[in-house]
Amino acid sequence: MLSTFSVSRILFPNIQSLGILTPKLLNLGPYTLDFTSSGRHMAVGGRKGHLAIVDMKTMGLIKEFQVRETVRDVVFLHNDLFFAAAQKSMANILMTGRYPYIYNRDGTELHCLKEHGAVLRLQFLKNHFLLASINNFGQLHYQDVTMGEMVGSYRTGIGRTDAMQVNPYNGVVALGQSLGTVSMWKPTSSAPLLRLLCHKGPVSAIAFHPNGHLMATAGKERKIKLWDLRKLGDEPLQTLPGNAKTLDFSQKGLLACQLGNGSSVQILRDLDGNQTYKTYMNHGMVKGFQIEKLLFRPYEDVLGIGHSMGWSSILIPGAGEPNFDTLVANPFETSKQRRESEVHSLLDKLPAETIMLDPAKIGTLKPERKKEKPTKQEKVAGIEAAVEVVKAIKLKKKTKGRSKPSKRTIKKKELIAKAKSPFLAQEMKEEEQVARKKQKTIEYVETPTSLLRFVRKKATA
Amino acid sequence: MAQTKRKSRDGGGGDKAKGKRGKPGGKKQKGADARERKGPRLPNVLRKEVERLNPIEDEEIDSDEAEVYGRDFYEYEEELPEEEKRKNRRFDPVENLEYQLPEEFEDENVSSDDDDNDMGDAGEDEDEDEDDDDDDDDGRQGIARIPAFEGKKKRNTNVVVSEAYPESEYNPTRDTLDGEGPVNIEDLLNPLHGKSGYSKLRKRIHHLEKKSVPTPAPLPKADQEKLERMAAHEKSKEELQKWEPIIKRNREAPTIYFDDDMDLRSSRASDFKPRTEFEKKIASLVYDDQVKDAHLKDGSRLLELNKVSAEDERDRHNRMAKMRSLLFRHEMKSKHIKKIKSKTYHRLLKKDRVKATSVQSQMDPDTAKELAMKQEYERAKERMTLRHKGTSKWTKRIKERGIDVQDEGTRAAIAEQQHLHAQLTRKMNSMKDGSSSSSSDDSSDEDDIDVYSPGSDHARAVKLLEKAKEKTRNVLKDDDENEVPNSGVLSLPFMVRGLKKRNEAAAEEAKLALQEYESWSNPLEDSSGADNLNVGPPSGRMVFNGSKKNAPESSNKTKTGNKMRTDNYYANSDSEDDLEPEENVDVENDRSSDFHKDVNISTALLHEDSQNHKDSLFKNFGDIVQDPGPKTTHEVSIFASGSWKKIKSSNSADANGKKSTCRLESVERNQNLQEPVEDLDEDSDADSEGQMVDGILSSNPKDEYRLPSQAELIRQAFAADDVEDEFEKEKQEVLNEENPEPEKPTLLPGWGQWTHVQKKKGLPSWMQKEHEDAKKKREETLKKRKDAHLKRVIISEKLDKKAEKLFTKTLPYPFTSKEVFEQSIRMPLGPEFNPASAVGALNRPEVMKRPGVIIRPVEFEEVNPQGKVEDHKQIGKKQKKRNQSNKSRSSSDKIVTKVKTKLKS
Repeated sequence: MLSTFSVSRILFPNIQSLGILTPKLLNLGPYTLDFTSSGRHMAVGGRKGHLAIVDMKTMGLIKEFQVRETVRDVVFLHNDLFFAAAQKSMANILMTGRYPYIYNRDGTELHCLKEHGAVLRLQFLKNHFLLASINNFGQLHYQDVTMGEMVGSYRTGIGRTDAMQVNPYNGVVALGQSLGTVSMWKPTSSAPLLRLLCHKGPVSAIAFHPNGHLMATAGKERKIKLWDLRKLGDEPLQTLPGNAKTLDFSQKGLLACQLGNGSSVQILRDLDGNQTYKTYMNHGMVKGFQIEKLLFRPYEDVLGIGHSMGWSSILIPGAGEPNFDTLVANPFETSKQRRESEVHSLLDKLPAETIMLDPAKIGTLKPERKKEKPTKQEKVAGIEAAVEVVKAIKLKKKTKGRSKPSKRTIKKKELIAKAKSPFLAQEMKEEEQVARKKQKTIEYVETPTSLLRFVRKKATA
Repeated sequence: MAQTKRKSRDGGGGDKAKGKRGKPGGKKQKGADARERKGPRLPNVLRKEVERLNPIEDEEIDSDEAEVYGRDFYEYEEELPEEEKRKNRRFDPVENLEYQLPEEFEDENVSSDDDDNDMGDAGEDEDEDEDDDDDDDDGRQGIARIPAFEGKKKRNTNVVVSEAYPESEYNPTRDTLDGEGPVNIEDLLNPLHGKSGYSKLRKRIHHLEKKSVPTPAPLPKADQEKLERMAAHEKSKEELQKWEPIIKRNREAPTIYFDDDMDLRSSRASDFKPRTEFEKKIASLVYDDQVKDAHLKDGSRLLELNKVSAEDERDRHNRMAKMRSLLFRHEMKSKHIKKIKSKTYHRLLKKDRVKATSVQSQMDPDTAKELAMKQEYERAKERMTLRHKGTSKWTKRIKERGIDVQDEGTRAAIAEQQHLHAQLTRKMNSMKDGSSSSSSDDSSDEDDIDVYSPGSDHARAVKLLEKAKEKTRNVLKDDDENEVPNSGVLSLPFMVRGLKKRNEAAAEEAKLALQEYESWSNPLEDSSGADNLNVGPPSGRMVFNGSKKNAPESSNKTKTGNKMRTDNYYANSDSEDDLEPEENVDVENDRSSDFHKDVNISTALLHEDSQNHKDSLFKNFGDIVQDPGPKTTHEVSIFASGSWKKIKSSNSADANGKKSTCRLESVERNQNLQEPVEDLDEDSDADSEGQMVDGILSSNPKDEYRLPSQAELIRQAFAADDVEDEFEKEKQEVLNEENPEPEKPTLLPGWGQWTHVQKKKGLPSWMQKEHEDAKKKREETLKKRKDAHLKRVIISEKLDKKAEKLFTKTLPYPFTSKEVFEQSIRMPLGPEFNPASAVGALNRPEVMKRPGVIIRPVEFEEVNPQGKVEDHKQIGKKQKKRNQSNKSRSSSDKIVTKVKTKLKS
């Protein structure tokens, strides 16, 4: 066992100064965590309504408050000023207080996102400014947090799941399913981009390598599997034992997973660079601590562990990216810089359509449509071809004046008309459809104001 | 003048002819014959008079000719005796000569090549040919005729010539007249030697001598024009080709600079030079030395300069007064005119005015031009919008036959029609402006929402309900929004009241309906959620729960049982969730089962039950959980027991089947059994506080934590073995959705089945073949899919319409293959990926220009066409550039080809 550095800080480090070490609060767990992209701030959400923001540099509590509702998940928005929490009121079954909320760092509730429903997991897509959520009916919502517009809302049809993870490379959301399938979604399509049968049991956790090519999934059948997303195959790259409820990749590609019955942590590492992960470290928590969330802190060799008794952090050498790029994320950001970067990130915001499995495809040649409508020229060509065929037909010589030139011309014309008619009928049909659609939209607007007085009022009941 | 001259000569000629009349022989006789038939009959005396008069006239005009004629005249005078016959008709020939001769002469022209050659000579010449036997005025004619008519020579032997005139071409020598030494063209030409135009004439004659082939008729005008155009095209092509290297260079240059020959001085104010008269005048005033001085020194001098003399002032005053009086008079005049009531007067006035303007427009080139431009513009515009929509039989026929073949009137009519159509369309366009239509988007959105439905009845039902809800909500909203009209009958107070009442009633009803929908949809949603989960076999904990009893009969589980178990699973997975999920789940569960069996158990009742049982179970709880361990251990053990009990209860529910009363009991029991879980949670909150701390400090979990047995673990792991089958099914579904299976060919029942023979035949072969083809095609496409060989992967091949704009539509010009293009765009251009020296070149715009620079047209200069463009940029840039240039090039190519085709046609 290589449990070398176990700098385990149980609960908040300077609890005394904050005065929150009251026995009652101890029961607010298990805790879930989220870091800002710079790793400077951490949001903590206790299952029983305890929300807090901590400055990780000074280890000082910025704000904590009790929402008196079940907190399922917390997630930072683009910076430490705002965070979203998925909540559910505990008071009554019939009361319907089960929405995600957006708070600012002072704990003021800014928004209640009712459309999302009873959300189980939240994810924020940093580059696209989208807040993605999955609720207990398996509905996936994407909301643009800049303008508040609901970008996509889909019924995934996969049932209740709380395994949801965003691929940081391309913004695709992966959802785990009770049937062992992982499906990947984007905000502009109602059908999953990809479905992958990963496990025999329900999928309990998903994690993506920061480069987006490696995916780790954990199933309830006590298996952790690693998948190469560039070359999808029936078999995983690697299968490891372990019943993980939470997984996380560090910036440098270390994989943290929960082990055993939830109170010990295992760190795996790809030592040779050939995508074979081996045990790097193990860390045993006090038995009975249910680990809820494992999350590496960006730009630090620290793993945050949210568990039933609070939050701990342990040191994992080589986990974080040592060289930070201040244009990307700056852990030592001043408020002025933060404002600046906020504006920049808003200007650089990517539209939701850019989310796709392979973003490198953007700008390449448009993929061919399978069933493209025939163009006008093609249609005309079709008609012409049909007419030509008919024209080529030689009429039989008939007696009794049936071969009179006039009759012949009439006959020819008839034949041509006959050949054309199916095309024309098709065209008419299409036009009709278009017209109907148009009418639908126009119907209400169409009547001019002068005629409004003659319009019958709609029946009220 | 010419006319009179000709007349006179004709007259003269006629007289001469008279002289010739008696002689036998060709031309003269012919002329004489004409004369004979038509000539007026004059008494000798009178004729003499005429003859005497005419030469005088001639003389007045052309003395030379007169002389000649005069002489000839004398010669012919001698042969008068035969004339007596024609004396009666003497006036006719004069008239006839006037009118008939041209015809005759034309005939002759065709036969004899002479006239074609002397194109320069006027008709005058030819007239003379007719009646003049004496062709000496034109040597060529003489030569052509003289050998032909031998008789003349013979006749001429008797001629007596008085040599009163100097010898010239008009006065042939005696030899010539005698016929000795034939006159050839050389003879005629020689005297002209040294005169201007001699060489030209000689050349022409040489040319004539060489080949006397008839000149071919001129080509038709169209062909001529075509040839001309061809020549012009050749010329213009040559002209244009010399620019090609320059244009090529400019196109290939990665960047064009417009700042190196910048010359801003020309536009500087100091360099301004007065050019027009006005400018000069102003300049002379402004740059006057005195004024300048005054400006420099002080203002008083300026005032001095500003002085106006008294005379000037008087002049001005007078001028003004004059103008004023003029104006007044004009005013008075117009007033007077206005007073005139005569309509005709005004009409005439107006007519005059119009005329004046039109004249002015004709006279003034500017206004005329303007008018023409306006009209031209109007016409061009019309032509642009003109669309002929001839649907009548007549127009169709005309069109079929071709408008070009039609006569003027028909064409005009067609044009009229077209004009009408144009007008109508314009009107239409003006009527409706920009109808908003984004229906397609809407529909697609709808599709997006609707596409994914689990396909079960539940989904449909839920959808229906949702729709209904939406509608009722809309109605409600409408009610709110419906405003009472401000005017009319409806605005009367009692009407308003009535409306309000009705609206309220409707709203009430809608609300009720909404509630009803809600109550229906809740169970539906639950069940649907459960169903989704139930598609697969139970897994994980679920199996662990129901393992022993339900394993064999897992296939025919009832719905309710299933549901319960799945819910259990999630409850378990959610175990740390909170207190009420358990209860919630159960209540929902029951409700759903109620829903299915049409038994109404009010939730209130259930609540009551649960409350009743809470207390008792609270006590039970103590038994179940004895050891005070950490919280987690509690949960595990309790869930184990709880779920086990749950299973039992659900089984009992199954057994009870449709007996609602019994089921009710079971539900209650179920509820009871569920309760401990919640209570436990609550309790654990309360009780385990102290223990928690203990747990942390001294944890002895070994004895508390009961590991599931190995057998259970294995079962847990492999219970859901048939997920693969499920996945297979799912994949099939997706495949069917994306590449739908061809429909099975069917005939209408009874169709084509008159006899059993036909029946035996079955479907027609073409139908079967079509079906086979469709099937094959589908298989092909399926094989081409990315996930064709992967059993556990489904890759959607749906195209995202919204993302289409992010792709390149067509392959840009220089590239021929997709791969190469995609490779080329991979190179990043940004400063993060390139050295600083290259970034500028990579991102430099195609045109560099400073504000204020006048871009002059390209000047011609010699460019080495083989020379390469210096300062080549990197590939990406160049390609980009080339794409652009390609566009322009292609357009220019198009124009060139257009021109060519025009020329060919």
